[in-house]
Amino acid sequence: MREIPDLLVIGAGLSGLMAAYEAAEAGLRVKVIAKGLGSMHWSAGTVDVLGYAAGDKAVSMPLQELEGLQAVAPHHPYVVAGAEAVTEALSRFVALAKELGLPYEGAEEPGRNLWLPSPVGAARPVYLAPQGQRYGDLALAEPIVVVGFEGLRDFYPWVIAENLRKQGHRARGTVLPFALLSERRDANTVQLAQELDELKRVVTLARALKEVVEPGERVGLPALVGLDRHGRAMEVLQEELGTRVFEIPTLPPSVPGMRLYRALRSDLEGRGVEVEIGMEAVGYEAKEENGGFRRLLWVETATSARPLKHRARAFLLATGGLLGGGFDSNHEGRVWERVFDLPLAMPQNREDWFRPKFLDPAGHPVFQGGVSVDREFRPVSPEGKRLFANLWAAGNGLRDCDGIRERSREGIAIVTGIAAARSILVALRREKHVH
Amino acid sequence: MFTESWQSVGPSLDECIKCNICTAYCPVAAVTDRFPGPKYAGPQAQRFRENGQPHAPDRSVDYCSGCRVCNEVCPTGVKIAELNARARAQMVAEQGIPLRNRLLGRNELLGKLGSLAPRLANLGLHNHVSRVMAEKVVGIAREAPLPRFSEEGTFGSWMKRTAGERLRSDRKVVYFHGCATMYYEPFVGKATVVVLEHLGYEVIVPPQNCCGLPLLSNGEFGAARRYHEGNLHKLVPYAQQGYEIVGSSTSCTLTLKEEAPELLDMFDEESEELKLAVWDVFEWLRERYRQGELPTDFKPLPMVLPYHPPCQYRAHRVGRPAAELLALIPGLDVRVSTARCCGIAGTYGYKREKYQIGMDVGAELFEFVREQGREVRMTACDSETCRWQLEHGTGLPSRHPIEVLAAAYGLYDLERREPRGV
Repeated sequence: MREIPDLLVIGAGLSGLMAAYEAAEAGLRVKVIAKGLGSMHWSAGTVDVLGYAAGDKAVSMPLQELEGLQAVAPHHPYVVAGAEAVTEALSRFVALAKELGLPYEGAEEPGRNLWLPSPVGAARPVYLAPQGQRYGDLALAEPIVVVGFEGLRDFYPWVIAENLRKQGHRARGTVLPFALLSERRDANTVQLAQELDELKRVVTLARALKEVVEPGERVGLPALVGLDRHGRAMEVLQEELGTRVFEIPTLPPSVPGMRLYRALRSDLEGRGVEVEIGMEAVGYEAKEENGGFRRLLWVETATSARPLKHRARAFLLATGGLLGGGFDSNHEGRVWERVFDLPLAMPQNREDWFRPKFLDPAGHPVFQGGVSVDREFRPVSPEGKRLFANLWAAGNGLRDCDGIRERSREGIAIVTGIAAARSILVALRREKHVH
Repeated sequence: MFTESWQSVGPSLDECIKCNICTAYCPVAAVTDRFPGPKYAGPQAQRFRENGQPHAPDRSVDYCSGCRVCNEVCPTGVKIAELNARARAQMVAEQGIPLRNRLLGRNELLGKLGSLAPRLANLGLHNHVSRVMAEKVVGIAREAPLPRFSEEGTFGSWMKRTAGERLRSDRKVVYFHGCATMYYEPFVGKATVVVLEHLGYEVIVPPQNCCGLPLLSNGEFGAARRYHEGNLHKLVPYAQQGYEIVGSSTSCTLTLKEEAPELLDMFDEESEELKLAVWDVFEWLRERYRQGELPTDFKPLPMVLPYHPPCQYRAHRVGRPAAELLALIPGLDVRVSTARCCGIAGTYGYKREKYQIGMDVGAELFEFVREQGREVRMTACDSETCRWQLEHGTGLPSRHPIEVLAAAYGLYDLERREPRGV
């Protein structure tokens, strides 16, 4: 008989993959299933830990903010994990990323947020940036030339430059011919990034850039400088130009997010972790156990006919919230978690989902609700009672965080993914399934 | 005529959040400007095709190969490939269907005709002059890997001839062979039968129709409906008696289970009964394995075998059952491809204007096979047209995994493609 996995991770976003990594590295047999590809494909590929707190207050030292968070949001995932776990998980990510050949860096002053240009030239608070975005730091003094490509959708150098100037930065925009990147009539950023995996093309691009870059300028390019050979492409550009080159994320599909996804997934597969996409979890089977717990036996995914059973010893729900697809809602005001129908700390009345102002600094309750967990990241009832003997939850589906508004999406994913995996390890060892 | 209702496929359109993940992964958009990508041709253009709109906005959806990479990667569950299939049907309804697509859609009829005089048919079809003619007159690419009619008789004639040797048992299973096994590759059916019998099952082969997939992918929904109704009539009685229906063609089983009812809006009780009775052969064998019922008396099969899970498995959403079971065979070093598609996509790669696109899409698979080294003697894939494309693209023979499994049981000669005498 086939051996069943120790851990089934549901969801292939950053939290699910980080948990899978942590568990697989500790020797567990891990399988990851997901309905589609994770939200990393929409993200800028940066690790945002905390950019705004208490409404719209900009945060410069995220880790120092954690204590204050405890008072205002006692169920925030960072508070549940504890400050020490937050710091440790982030270092763990930095070490892993380096190992994957995709190094991430923070600001020169340890612990401080970087401010990087967004696709429209706004300043984004980022804790860790992929090396390729690091020199977009708006704290640096060199003037910026934003270089776009004629006909490339979703990247407008003049808009970016103008918005940067409005914020007091020296910046200008310019464009190069699309044909430098591709012979295609039209292509998206991912296809163009693949074109720049070829060295010849990078060299051609460098030559063309030389013509438009003025001495002392750093160069901001759309984030498409190579997909699998990104590091090499950046090196060649900087060497040829003799100046700093950085990427500015584009609208999705986001190449920097995809690089991280691809690197993580391929590392996991190298460790024997099976990652299956196109598997939508639609149900489960559990049995009653002593102590009033229910123990999950399997999770079911939809197929072309009958549901497919995925057995495991432990299960991790990492399907995200409303954005990630972990929750669904209806017009009557109900919001529910899709796989286990876990109770959500969330207004179940449509009137209470949103505040009247779209850009209210306090955010909207419907985006802040989610799954309640205990200190071990196990889902609990509103009364705080553990619901399943072998279910854990991680990621942006947890309650009392607001990843987009707080600029904490990746931080939450990494911290809770690792914390949940560690809790799973402890529990399975206690059950003597793993030695 | 196809119906105008968009049950199940249509509403999924509203789930599209325009994230473009589908376009980033689409293997066709990656190699040609003729197809802008699933998001544009599918959910976006669909808004112009909805009820009451005068006509489809453009014809680029015709370049969707239907590989369903988009469905798999979509984070919100939009049925993009099905939206595209329906859009093609709408184009056919408005603009008519070329003779070429009519021909390619009619596997069953072609098979019946060709099998009357297979040698003659092969001679007539497989020569340079006819292929050039076929390209010029009907638009079937001259290089594309057309199959040969079986010259040793059809699968049906083998079943009749060997009726006396077939296993009788209380445990019975129904076999859906599909057109390719019937007329072109009867050995795949023979391998399936000997494996099922090795598990102790008596194999029932009832009369059956083409599943209708070639018609569905060419937009001929009316004709596809007639085939599906034929299959309901012929197969549902078995489902009602509790028999499981196992198929060796991943595309046929997918069509019977899901594609036909979904695209044709046939959500009736009989379609549901058929759907729940049908299994892809490896999906079924894996279930036997999980229940501890699969014999594992495998003989070593020492070789490196590049295996390509066909696109239809992606649509079945059952994982890679053949890869799981082949991994049990001692000595067999199965290398599972992660290539998105072989490029043939059913009848797509046969069309003159799409042949090169199909070959460009398949390049990553052919490259994967080459990377596995010189010692590779053959490849494997569950889907017939994919095998033919694999052979065309790599120059190596390709086998159905059921042939490999039958060989590992010692029941089948993998070189000569015939069952061994017991």
